[in-house]
Amino acid sequence: MYKKTFIMKYKSIYFIAVLAVIGIGCSKSWIDINTNPNSLPSATPSFVLTNAMNTTTTNIINANETGSYWAGHWTQSSSYILSPETFSYNFTDGNFNYWDGLYDNLQDYQYVIDNADANDQKYFKGPAKIMKAYIFSALVDMYGNIPYSDALKGAASLAPKFDDQKVIYENLIKLLDEAIVDVKATAFASAFSGADIIFKGNATSWIQFANSLKVRLLVHQARVAGKEAYITTEINKIVTEGSGFITNKEVGVGGTTFYIATAGKTNPMYDRWAYDANGATRALARFPRPAKYLFDVLIGTDDTLRLKRIAYAKGGERGATPGTSNSPEIIANYVGVPFGVSSGYTAPASSYIGPSLFVKGEFGRPFILMTAGEIQLSLAEIKQRFPAVTLPGTAQSYYEDGVRQSFRALGVANAIANANTLLAGGKANADWAASTDKLQAIATQKWLALVNFSGLEAWTEYRRTNLPNTPQASTVTGTKRPFRLFYPNTEAGSNTENVKAQGTVDVFTTKIFWDID
Amino acid sequence: MMIAMLSFGVVVAQTRVITGKVTDSKGNPVPGATIKTKSGETVAADQNGAYKINVVTGDILSVTSVNFATASIKVGNSTTIVVALNGKDSNLDEVVVTAQGIRKKSRDIGYSYAKISNEDVNVGRSPQLAQALSGKVSGLAVYNVNNSVDPQVKVVLRGYRSLTGNNEALVVLDGMQTTQTVLSIINPNDIENVTILKGGQAATLYGSAGINGAIVITTKKGEKGKLKVSYALSTNFDQISFLPKFQDKYGNGSHYANSYGQGGYKTDYLERMKDNWRPFENQQYGDAFNGEDRIIGRVLEDGSKNILPYAAIKNTRSKAFDIGNTLNNQVSFQGGDATSSFYMSLENNRISGIVPLDKSDRNSVRIASTKEYGKLNVGFTASYVQASYDRTSFDFYNDLINQAAHIPLANLRDWQTNKFANPNGYYNDYYNNPYFNKDNNRTKYTDANLQGNFDLNYKVSKWLALYNRLGVMNNSRTQKNTTGKFLHSDWAKNSAYVPAPWDYANDYDGIDRAGTDNLGAVSDYTKTENVINNEFQLRFDKDFGNFSNKLTLGYSIYQRSTKEMAVNSNSVVVPGVYNVSNRQGELTGGESNTMERKYGYYADLTTSYKNWLIINGTFRYDVTSRFYKSTRPTSAYSYPYYGVALSFIATDAFPTLKGNTLNYAKLRVNYNKNGNDNIPLYGLDLNYPNGAGFPYGNAVGLTVGNTSPDANLKPEFVTSYEVGGELQLFKSRVSLDVSAYTQTSKGQVLTVKVPNTTGFSNLLINVGEAKNWGYEADLRVQIIQKSKLKWELGVRYSYNDNKAVDLYPGINEFQLGGYSYANTNVIKDQRFPILKTDGYKYAADGSGMRLVDPVTGYPLRDVSLTGRGGTLPRHIVGATSRLSYGNFALAINFEYRGGNVIYSDLGRQMTFTGAGKWTEERTPHVFPNSAYLDGSGKVVPNTTLQAQESEYELWVSHYRRISENFTTPGWFIKMRDVNLSYNVPASLITKMKIFTGASVSLYGRNLFTIVDKSNFYTDPEFSFTTGNGIGINNTLQTPPTRQYGFNLNLTF
Repeated sequence: MYKKTFIMKYKSIYFIAVLAVIGIGCSKSWIDINTNPNSLPSATPSFVLTNAMNTTTTNIINANETGSYWAGHWTQSSSYILSPETFSYNFTDGNFNYWDGLYDNLQDYQYVIDNADANDQKYFKGPAKIMKAYIFSALVDMYGNIPYSDALKGAASLAPKFDDQKVIYENLIKLLDEAIVDVKATAFASAFSGADIIFKGNATSWIQFANSLKVRLLVHQARVAGKEAYITTEINKIVTEGSGFITNKEVGVGGTTFYIATAGKTNPMYDRWAYDANGATRALARFPRPAKYLFDVLIGTDDTLRLKRIAYAKGGERGATPGTSNSPEIIANYVGVPFGVSSGYTAPASSYIGPSLFVKGEFGRPFILMTAGEIQLSLAEIKQRFPAVTLPGTAQSYYEDGVRQSFRALGVANAIANANTLLAGGKANADWAASTDKLQAIATQKWLALVNFSGLEAWTEYRRTNLPNTPQASTVTGTKRPFRLFYPNTEAGSNTENVKAQGTVDVFTTKIFWDID
Repeated sequence: MMIAMLSFGVVVAQTRVITGKVTDSKGNPVPGATIKTKSGETVAADQNGAYKINVVTGDILSVTSVNFATASIKVGNSTTIVVALNGKDSNLDEVVVTAQGIRKKSRDIGYSYAKISNEDVNVGRSPQLAQALSGKVSGLAVYNVNNSVDPQVKVVLRGYRSLTGNNEALVVLDGMQTTQTVLSIINPNDIENVTILKGGQAATLYGSAGINGAIVITTKKGEKGKLKVSYALSTNFDQISFLPKFQDKYGNGSHYANSYGQGGYKTDYLERMKDNWRPFENQQYGDAFNGEDRIIGRVLEDGSKNILPYAAIKNTRSKAFDIGNTLNNQVSFQGGDATSSFYMSLENNRISGIVPLDKSDRNSVRIASTKEYGKLNVGFTASYVQASYDRTSFDFYNDLINQAAHIPLANLRDWQTNKFANPNGYYNDYYNNPYFNKDNNRTKYTDANLQGNFDLNYKVSKWLALYNRLGVMNNSRTQKNTTGKFLHSDWAKNSAYVPAPWDYANDYDGIDRAGTDNLGAVSDYTKTENVINNEFQLRFDKDFGNFSNKLTLGYSIYQRSTKEMAVNSNSVVVPGVYNVSNRQGELTGGESNTMERKYGYYADLTTSYKNWLIINGTFRYDVTSRFYKSTRPTSAYSYPYYGVALSFIATDAFPTLKGNTLNYAKLRVNYNKNGNDNIPLYGLDLNYPNGAGFPYGNAVGLTVGNTSPDANLKPEFVTSYEVGGELQLFKSRVSLDVSAYTQTSKGQVLTVKVPNTTGFSNLLINVGEAKNWGYEADLRVQIIQKSKLKWELGVRYSYNDNKAVDLYPGINEFQLGGYSYANTNVIKDQRFPILKTDGYKYAADGSGMRLVDPVTGYPLRDVSLTGRGGTLPRHIVGATSRLSYGNFALAINFEYRGGNVIYSDLGRQMTFTGAGKWTEERTPHVFPNSAYLDGSGKVVPNTTLQAQESEYELWVSHYRRISENFTTPGWFIKMRDVNLSYNVPASLITKMKIFTGASVSLYGRNLFTIVDKSNFYTDPEFSFTTGNGIGINNTLQTPPTRQYGFNLNLTF
């Protein structure tokens, strides 16, 4: 009897003790700590758009680099071991993966488009759609058929199917139409101009960018059979819309109000190929080199003013007097490197990328997505090929304006006057009247207008027109050149069936639809 | 007889005193042994093994002492009892600390475990516990992935189970769940023993944390008896055991000669080599050394030139390293009386590394005490370790192998005073003076670890005890990384020139690398980690007839929180002042906080039938914050799991089996299913982090996270089966322990790569399935067991393999890490990780000939990556020999690992620079074992077509880029540790009257290493990561070393 009470008594003590301890754990609130304290659980479209625009630059810089090589603008110095991927075209589906970054970037634009209404920030939709069209067009130009209608749907479509590239191009024109309607429908609020690091809330500029992008998409198709009526109709629609194209300025991201002198927060071109935030020369400044053929073309038309903006003389920029070269700025000191040569042209003995892109200390220049000169020269080609379009100017006037815009964009002193001198200089492919093949003149001048700014577009134009006749890489025997990139192994490994459905990709024979020869 | 019986009835309650002595089997006294009676008395034997204790007649004395088997003696009528203890020849009744501190007799354990004593740990006097365990336990693989003053290890039991998650063993310190940090900071001398619980069953009670097995460390609590003070001193040297194989025929040069096909191409390769020579090159593709005087670098501002013989300097790279040194001093105090014990130790361990200036300094203190108050036992341990490291953050090794063989590197240490060593005068255009880079880029950090346990054991009744243990741990790191400011002179930038007669037409002025000034950088980082763990247990121990039962009911609470802060500046204004305030531009940095909580209930029941059939069941129910959301059902974040184990002692069940040959046979089998909350913290949330670099001043930018979590995520489960047996033969002089196991892990939480076209790059989802299986055998033989001469041999073999059974539908493989040309992967239906590299194109005729370009003669590269084999060793063999003769003892441990491949990026790098011995064939030659395809596609063996520019292009542009060249078998044999010791005889010591014991020893670690003959590069254990993707090494691991030293132990 005694014994039992003894145990009973202790039992109740243990019981309480156990309950007391267990009591802490039993409450759900004790484990309700699973909310990430390091990262936000939601985001408003304004903040997402700012990052998306900035991320577009850090993605497109890579595509532009490869484009600059394959368009014949740039090559590499022999201070670095020659990259066989780029200069022997010895690349695989593991190289040049611009795909993943761009689709990641697209997701942010899509987020803005999808959430703008709900957040009462409708004015973000138009610009986000224009940027979406800009990136999708770059993807088609590199990869052909790609996921478009089924893309960016998250878990709702884990294996996005691919769309036909021609249909995507048509849909991008429609997307830009929608974007223009969106921009016109809702006035930009002040919240927008803070987030918009491209045009700072200028609606007209956005519409002009949309129209310019349409011109780019349409001119790409200019040689595709049976597209004449379509292109004419679409160009005429732009003329009717009336806002025009970007003129006397470039489409640029960031600028001095955005970039700051902090590691990783300067203009990404400047950061990669020129100087760090504190003005120390980047090791990679010794890598890219203007190609000898580019110099030959410029010298051939006495176009030395643009040459001296495109490149620094050998030895690069003089740090003490930014914007000038270390060596005397005489043409003999502008040493271009033959494309793809593997020896004999070390960095200090050859020309650096010039002051049109890099001046020490000017880390806050906008990152250029599109130049006005490109669009004027595209309009020249359209007018030349399809005289029926209602564009008000002549092919010659667009051509000449394109060249003047190029002088301006490169920062040539007295740009208009000096451009006019070139245009009247009597040299073929510079002076309109002296050029027997007008399309060749347009292509050559566009090729020059794209130097340093739009490498991917230059490669696209080269593939589309086969102009100018840039030399083959020194290390390559035969005439083969890459026409496109491989679908990256990341996509092939995770969206296998849909990638397989595109057939065997041979980068030396499989062409993008606008590349007809 | 009748009287005796009567008197028995009378004296039953009377106590009397007996005296006696505890000895070993040879009759030597065993001081400090614990003597307990069944009636509740406990005393300790004194220094001479003598004891005195109150007993009642019929009482049973239980005598225990470390390193001896427990002896039980029935008290008869005598007043003196001499107890002879048997050494640990037979470990049948050894008590093992198993999961959650539950003590079990060895025979009751139904799964595989290993127990390592302090003595085994300290053979090689390694200051690091993990390294000291290498090769000593079957099924345990300790990967010494890095060799520096802060070595990194990866500790894996029985291979990999998880495809992408954690595969490392749990570390338990005195019952508390800690982290692998403990393995690198604990003083190995403080360890009483280490129990390795290899399988899932062993660790069921630890919950998810124990899924990969557990390393259970028990520290010393003090021996009862009078105060004992021990002092130990160890000092050893650390010397490079091998470097990659270097060529010593060619000096600095690169591809300056006009290339094939270019105008001005020279057909004589010797002429091309001369053209390739440059005095400022990092590559080593110049002409052959000829002993003449040549300049290195350019003319300095003061006009001086560094002119040296153009001839290789013997061992110039190995001389660039120092001989390292480790000095370990420690003192410990222990003692106690019948009801209490205490232990205290102090340690200082200083290392100076082989990389000049690298050093570490560890100070630790540990105190522990136990006290009995009647039915209440109280104990605590507390330790504090502070370890400081000062290392270069620069890749010193890489820069060394980028210097040609005729550069007297060791003379260029003093870059502050030697103008040719200073960055303004250093000869190399591409790589700076490695000594400058090493000095200018430092990382200094201090790790502090405070850990404590407090436990209470209250014996409520004969069959019930209440137990509670509270453990806390605090880890912190404070770190500062600095890069010094260095601005190059204008002369170095623009004017330094190559003088005649060494100049070439297209040379340029100014040192290429000097164009980039170094503006300095500072980054400051702190991290703290706090862990609290409380275990409350009810322990029942009751026999019913032939059944003896032990039941533990437990309740566990665990909380871990971390905080990290970093601030960085990317400039230094005033040189030498390393404060983030001394900067221009913005501060950058970040913060990260985590908190996780878990609680669980568990039960462990062991029922033994007549001591020969033992069944053990375990059950645990866990609730984890990692899967908790208020909107999720309870089943999503709480989960039960269980296991059962059976032991059958055949020799006790059927005593007739016992004989002179066989004295013990046990069979064991177990099954269990363990839950695992293996999900990244906060993995349930899709989040919106700052975009790269944001904020830019006032501009805010956010991005949609890249990993989309599946809405139905839940914990994964691992199912294990194990069978095993133990045999002891010839009076336990031979013992054999074998096991076979298989583990299947289903519903693994995987970060699956999804197409980026979905907008996400990854999906976090329960999909993966992996299988892991293996065999283990431990054989121990006492070959000689004489009074003076003893020799014991042990061999341990383990085989482990695994397979990725299932990944996400449609996905056959994914990459774990590495380079674009050589990486580790998980591939469906194969073992993992698998090394894949690019390689040669082989002739389709099966001849094994390597195809070359029919024009240039260069080998063709197959750009698609091909599987080269698994990177985890399948076979691990450990071998131990212990020989003692009188006061001398010699212990040696070897380890072999094999059945895996490794990739050495070092090889690729040294082909680029031309430093590798394998690039020595620079004369025009036919690429060995090659063939080409003729116009019709027929394979033509190549006997005449020479590689065009064998002096450069063949190596740098072709051979280098075929990663198959640097893929080698990963096997090795190492002498892990060796120790020759001498115990100063007691007769000598007693005369001195100061010491009670003294011993000296010579020891070594990794004295020799044998690797595959095709492995020219480095230690196959090294790896660029401690993650799952091991098997790839590069220059970020310093060269392999051997250590040898001297140890002195004194006790007072």
